[in-house]
Amino acid sequence: MERGLIVFNHVKEAFKAEKVLKASGFQIELTIPPKDMVKGCDLAISFNLNERLAVERALMENGVQYSDIVDVVKVSTKPLDIVKKVDYGDTIMFRCGSMKITIDKRDGIILNISGGGCPDVPYLFLQLVGKKIFEAKNPTSIGYSLCAYSLGKAFEEALKFYENSGRWNSSS
Amino acid sequence: MKTLVAGTVPVDKFPYYVGTPSFEGKNLVLGQKVLPIGMGTLSLYSATYLTIAHLKGEPPTLMTVGDVGKADGSRILYQKIAEEIEELKPNVLTLHYVMPIITLVRALALKLQKINPKPIVVADAGFMYAFKASKMGHVCNIFTPDPGEMAFLADKDAVHPAYIERHLFEIDSTSVESLIEKVKDVEGLPKMLVVKGAIDYIVLDGKILFKIDDPMVPYLEPIGGTGDTLTGILTGLIAHGLPLEKAAYYACKINRIAGQLSNPTPKTRVNEIISNIPKAIDLVLKI
Repeated sequence: MERGLIVFNHVKEAFKAEKVLKASGFQIELTIPPKDMVKGCDLAISFNLNERLAVERALMENGVQYSDIVDVVKVSTKPLDIVKKVDYGDTIMFRCGSMKITIDKRDGIILNISGGGCPDVPYLFLQLVGKKIFEAKNPTSIGYSLCAYSLGKAFEEALKFYENSGRWNSSS
Repeated sequence: MKTLVAGTVPVDKFPYYVGTPSFEGKNLVLGQKVLPIGMGTLSLYSATYLTIAHLKGEPPTLMTVGDVGKADGSRILYQKIAEEIEELKPNVLTLHYVMPIITLVRALALKLQKINPKPIVVADAGFMYAFKASKMGHVCNIFTPDPGEMAFLADKDAVHPAYIERHLFEIDSTSVESLIEKVKDVEGLPKMLVVKGAIDYIVLDGKILFKIDDPMVPYLEPIGGTGDTLTGILTGLIAHGLPLEKAAYYACKINRIAGQLSNPTPKTRVNEIISNIPKAIDLVLKI
């Protein structure tokens, strides 16, 4: 149930991906794609879904082409991308799933990060808190997990909010 | 009682450690290494340590290893808990940050089921995700979700809070009680949930025992680590011998008051709140 599936256009790409991912230490298996995605001669790779970001990054860094990544159980389900916000006056919190990021509206400084349960969450806290949102790296570029994915969505909304607030030009 | 707190720390390649760290200002000293008490396992451990120390109990043991999200340390931690649990013989076991890996948590759950006497198990963060995703949460006594994580628990097929059904995310913080109702039908969860949020809920067998909203401290939610401190205080009170329901109720109260004593803003760091735990214990338990 926790497995994700990388789907490829070409079997050769799946072989290349297998080599890259195994060399990077991921626990993967070559497998058949979901029934509704089988085209004939297909090969997919299943992996721990919680390592999705890290897997995507390893494939990208090594120039591996793939057509899609799907949840084995819910093929049509994409990760949550809805972001809610709570306005505290001078500060505002953005939340996606269980991940929250709070910024200072005046200068865009990331004041706090909370929620989540994957091990990169405290790491992202240390990397991002205290930095200005428009100068900080997106959590998806330095994190590894689905928590980093959710935090990335909240981060993008926070950045959009700050850029649209009219303070962007004066403080950047 | 013997208490074991297990979870990863966000330091790449930090070696496996088991022991009782010492405090040095805002840091913990683990052997020769000094780590800051930021959010995460060290916040939880610090809250547990201070609670137990204030109540004059046996200091808790910390089991940890570095992991910044690559899952390398997490794999070691799953293995070490299973290997060492019988020797450490904790009465209370609290499990925290880890990469959720279903095959490994399932093996750990089977191990915990075989231990006699089985420790009281509290699971938070990644361990809670892993137990839920593997449908082995019934091995635990308590989960400590926030409203977003309640939506995850209520979605029987979700393997991570990032994959919950959208309609559950829409209602999570506005209708925690409806999620509590839905969770009744989900298999493989513990009997007790301590739902931490603007209102804290203590839930036993699907029924709400307590709703705690006093004192109301709205700025606690954005502060990273305030959920960790609640779980840490809860662990300490269980180790002190309080029944689980009472420990949960008082932990929520103490966490709120420790927060209030810090005059928090969204910028407040969790170690400011942790330092107020002993005073908050005195105020709540009237010591």
